[in-house]
Order: sequence, then structure tokens, then C-alpha cells
Amino acid sequence: MNRKVSDLSILEKFVKDFASVVEKHCKYIIVSGFVAISHGRTRGTEDIDMIIERLDEPKFSNLHNDLLKKGFVCVQADDAKTIYEYLADNLSVRYIKKGTFIPEMELKFSKDSLDEYQIKTRKKYPLSGLDIYFSTIEVNIAFKEELLKSEKDMEDAKHLREVYSDEIDENEINKIKKEIKRLRLK
Amino acid sequence: MRDKTHSEQIVRWARFIKTNDISVWKKAVKDLTDSQIIMANRFYSNLIKTEKGKLKAERLLKRKL
Repeated sequence: MNRKVSDLSILEKFVKDFASVVEKHCKYIIVSGFVAISHGRTRGTEDIDMIIERLDEPKFSNLHNDLLKKGFVCVQADDAKTIYEYLADNLSVRYIKKGTFIPEMELKFSKDSLDEYQIKTRKKYPLSGLDIYFSTIEVNIAFKEELLKSEKDMEDAKHLREVYSDEIDENEINKIKKEIKRLRLK
Repeated sequence: MRDKTHSEQIVRWARFIKTNDISVWKKAVKDLTDSQIIMANRFYSNLIKTEKGKLKAERLLKRKL
């Protein structure tokens, strides 16, 4: 798990730096495409998806200010109050490293019990070589196969299924798929 | 829809990851993802210097620059 910083790709360093700031303020998870990419899937991406616990405005303001200190800027607005309004409305906001165009961190608040469950069951995956928290492989497969369903997502799920073929809990995937149907596809 | 050789490639590569040391496959993925990001940032830096380039970049990135 302890790879040297120089071994990290630009994408990995971006995520690691961002996550290390966020972790000081709240629990987070990295979800979706970057989970597959950090497990060796060879495809590009412009954004990384992160879900964080719901924060009140002062707490979010502290987080935002810390991100600014570390060289991140928000694409939507500069001031924490405006950015908070996006998040409170369950919209995502995007951060980039100052002076770059990509990658972007797509940040959103946990919006329902399914997101809370993902944060509660978050895990680090040594095979990724990254000391960051992901939503579980089962959660990611369930979302990609049940909700997202694009060709890219189905291929990500196939990749993760193959990499973790000896460890995947199918009952857990089915349980999450039921929750997706109940909460996101109603 | 991509053909079955594409699907087979996904399985073949996933098996490579499963059976090889992280240092082997991470290097390959790092080079690929780094080059994509470096190329994209270089492209947008060049684009905004051209006539109407900033507007085009804003459209492509869906944001104000």
C-alpha cells in the first residue's frame, strides 16, 4: 500500500492530495470510474467522483478553505456559501488544481440511506496501491450494472468482477441492487 | 456495440492484473493516464490562446474560464 509519491500517476496524486484534505473534516468515499481505473482498468477519465458526509455550512466552509490552501479551486464558485448551496441541493461541485483543466474532483453530499451505507461500509483496497477509501467493490458493481449501465460502466463492472472473482459477495451485490431499485429507480 | 474481442480483452487484462505484481501493471496504467492528462492540459492551454479558443474551451469543459 505504501508506494512512493513518484510512483503515483497524476490522477492518483490528485485524488490522494484531495482526499487527505477531506479526511480531516469528514468521511468520504471514492466511487465509480476511478475505482475501476485504480484497479488497472485501462481507460481515461476526466473526473473522479467523491461522496462525503453531509456537513453544515460552517464545517463545509472550513473544508473549502483547506482545499484552497492546498491549491484546489472550485469550478462553480469561489465562495463557500455559494458552493454549499449547490451541495445542499444535492448537486455536485467540481474542484481542479489551480492552473490545470483536468482532472476534476466531482464532489457531492451523501443524499440518502444508500449513500450513507456506502460511507459506512467504505474500504481501502491494497490491490489499488492507494491509501484512500473506496465504496466497496460490491457497491460499485451493483451501481454500474443496475443504475449506470453504459457500455463503459458495464465494462468497468466486468473488470472488477474478474479482478475480485474469488472474493466478491454476490448476496451483497443483489442486496444493493434492490436498494438501488427502491431508492433511485422508483 | 463493440464486438466480443473487446470483451475478451477486458477479461484478459483483468487476469493480468490479478496474476502480476502491482509494480508491473501500475506502470502501464500510469503512463496511459498521465499521457492523457498531459495531452489534454496542453491542448486546452494552446486552445485558449487561439481566436475564440477560450469560448470553445469553455464549451468543451462546460465551465467559465
